[in-house]
Amino acid sequence: MLGDWSTDILQHDPMRIYRAKRDAARRTVTSKYNIIGFISSGTYGRVYKAQSLDDEGKIHAIKKFKPDKEGDVVTYTGISQSAIREIALNREIDHENIVALKEVILEDKSIYMVFEYAEHDFLQVIHHHSQTLRSPISTAFLKSLIYQLFNGLVYLHSCHILHRDLKPANILITSSGVVKIGDLGLARLIYEPLQPLFAGDKVVVTIWYRAPELLMGAKHYNKAIDCWAVGCVMAELASLRPIFKGEEAKLDSKKNVPFQRDQLLKIFEVLGTPDEKDWPGVVDMPEYQNMKRLDPFSNRLSDWCQSRIRTPSGYELLRELFAYDPDNRLTAKDALQHKWFYEDPKPTWNAFQSVPAHQIPPHRRITQDEAPSMMPQPAQNTSHQASFASLSGGGPYGQATGGNGTHAPSRKKARMH
Amino acid sequence: MATDFWASSHYKRWLVDRATLKQARADDLQYVDDPDYLDFLAIYFANVISKLGKKLQLRQRAIATATVFFRRFYLKNSYCETDPFIVISACCYVAAKAEESPIHIKNIVAESRSLFSQENYGIKHFPSDHTKLAEMEFYLVDDLECDLTVFHPYRTLLSLCRKEAADTASLFGSEEGEADEAGVGISGDDGPRYWGTGEGQLELSEGALQTVWFIINDTYRSDLCLLHPPHIIAIAALYLTFILHQPTRDTILPQIAAQNHPNHQPETPQESTPQPRRSSRQANHHHTAVEPPKKPQDPITFLAELNVSLPLVATVAQEIISLYTLWDRYKEDAGPDAPRSSKDAANSPFSGSTGGGGAGSGSVRGSVSPAKRSVTGSSRSASNAGTPMDVGEEPVEGWNEEEYVTPVMLSALLLRMRESRLADMSHPASGRPVAVNKMLERTQAAG
Repeated sequence: MLGDWSTDILQHDPMRIYRAKRDAARRTVTSKYNIIGFISSGTYGRVYKAQSLDDEGKIHAIKKFKPDKEGDVVTYTGISQSAIREIALNREIDHENIVALKEVILEDKSIYMVFEYAEHDFLQVIHHHSQTLRSPISTAFLKSLIYQLFNGLVYLHSCHILHRDLKPANILITSSGVVKIGDLGLARLIYEPLQPLFAGDKVVVTIWYRAPELLMGAKHYNKAIDCWAVGCVMAELASLRPIFKGEEAKLDSKKNVPFQRDQLLKIFEVLGTPDEKDWPGVVDMPEYQNMKRLDPFSNRLSDWCQSRIRTPSGYELLRELFAYDPDNRLTAKDALQHKWFYEDPKPTWNAFQSVPAHQIPPHRRITQDEAPSMMPQPAQNTSHQASFASLSGGGPYGQATGGNGTHAPSRKKARMH
Repeated sequence: MATDFWASSHYKRWLVDRATLKQARADDLQYVDDPDYLDFLAIYFANVISKLGKKLQLRQRAIATATVFFRRFYLKNSYCETDPFIVISACCYVAAKAEESPIHIKNIVAESRSLFSQENYGIKHFPSDHTKLAEMEFYLVDDLECDLTVFHPYRTLLSLCRKEAADTASLFGSEEGEADEAGVGISGDDGPRYWGTGEGQLELSEGALQTVWFIINDTYRSDLCLLHPPHIIAIAALYLTFILHQPTRDTILPQIAAQNHPNHQPETPQESTPQPRRSSRQANHHHTAVEPPKKPQDPITFLAELNVSLPLVATVAQEIISLYTLWDRYKEDAGPDAPRSSKDAANSPFSGSTGGGGAGSGSVRGSVSPAKRSVTGSSRSASNAGTPMDVGEEPVEGWNEEEYVTPVMLSALLLRMRESRLADMSHPASGRPVAVNKMLERTQAAG
């Protein structure tokens, strides 16, 4: 009754008709956007600046997930856990201080996430002040950036989402001075998890921003790890260099997470060695014995803040964000109520409001020449791919692999969007 | 907000009406002579997903998510133009990732091949090349419009009810326990949970909670998850539990009977619509005065005081009963993979066990008849191993043993549907489409 055609479809490629229908209906990236240039790359893939071809002509950042390759032929290998997370979470959330996802286009084995465009990011602001202006970030500007960052974080946490990779490169600013938290590639829902968090990802948060409970090997962690990272970001904005710039110990060949001695020392040098009084749970931490072997330090955060934060309430905020005990650490919600934000100069919704025009950082650099074509092509220049320190890698499991993400962050390439 | 249902993609984009559902099955309807077979296919596919999920040791919530993905996919596509089996595998693959318990693609391919090649399904050509499954995943995610966060009635149940016990530490076993563990220090500032503060939660016996859980499992055999918000389904399941779970029923009935319905016949579930219950609630207030002061909230008052539409709850409850009526005509062949319900019960979230796969995956199917007074947790479980129970005692009208719909029949039907569809597509001038009318003979021949 059935011809070869039907038998072939039924037995060998039953979804052929379906795919043909879907492919015919799909609108391609290039039919909707004009690619202006290349912004950055990382383990996850690449980010491009693009203009919508519709009437509005808005500018977007398009994140193209790197398709896994087998040789030069691009094949389907399964969507990474990181991409699934970023897509799933972004489809649910909507907040002024979170980078908005406009759409996702799945085309020809690649995933393109179309985000609203942000002209600046915290890392760029830091570079601009340290390299070009050679002057600190003003208190008004700093306060606005941190306030809006907390405002976005309160939203994420109220949605039971941990970001797990807050750092200057992932926090963007639009040209109208609105802070946008980006890169949810390592973020996840913690509402009634089916598995404990540590079962999914062995390593979370870029080392310099990683909270002490994570460095001490805690199996359970919570929203407090994001608040620690905000403390690190705030200190970095204030001093123009990472406050705890430790060297990351690499995973061993069995992918065991080693004791992060250097990073903990960097923290202890400023905050002192934690004791049971500061942090009752410290004695139960897996790395407690390793920690006790380190030289003792006393807390000198107050001195550190003297020349950098300058006001007592600013120091207070930082001190509360750097509480060793996660249960005592300031929550994002409480941070918004902190008196530092209610003292003059007060934070503004346009973070650039108080910034003189000549001090506003330049537009994001995009490149044409080194920009790899956005559309699939074999044999890319590998120099773009190797050094990005994001943790959001992926494999057939969709797990963040950790392998690529455990180098000390490379500032040269650590720009996204 | 990923935890606010009213702001979710689920609420905004994936609740549809019956007309939309009907439209989605329009093509398939051409190839079956009785629309009921499409409903049987809905049961059949859900059972396949459940079996594959258990082989992959997915938790019940991930299986439920996979099932919802499958239903959403077939809102836009037809059974007859696709291969539902590779769609099922892809749904499980994506759901495992969406629920943060990823499984290697090679395991999914291997388990799918071994399950689908069984006699029931007869799929000899499931691709061993895992890129085919990855390709399907890609198209699936596209058809799902990247909306991968799904809300389930289980969450409502866990917020609304708790096990009656002083030992709160073991409440809800694994699911809740894990949430507590992983979220140390989180709960403090989280404010009210999905359904409030937890104060005033309804205390139910372990058996009753299990029954609700199992009824919720059963709802995934239908399109209910596309039609109604999960909290309504949870409350409808709770409501049915008051009727179906004998010990619970026994505690409620005297309260009702003692009130202003002296002639009330509690054996008929249809009569237990919200209206009589509302009136009995007022009577119950008198009642509480003579009861011991620490007596927990009575279930009827609890239901009545929920801020939901009780007529809607009653409608959903009716739809669940309709599902059971249909399901009584379906017979899952007893095979090596038939659900082992007693084991499931032991692993249920209310038993305090932290067991792995298949937790809480049981069903109450078969125990719907209120006449079966002896239904208890254990007898239900025993009768739940895939065979319709007590058939002789209560035959479904017009259906004999030989006329049960089986997976073998439905597998054959599905194949004929797809072949006919292809034939129609390859001979568009032949005057087709023509409905396939001889389904029963064919399937009997095949079976």
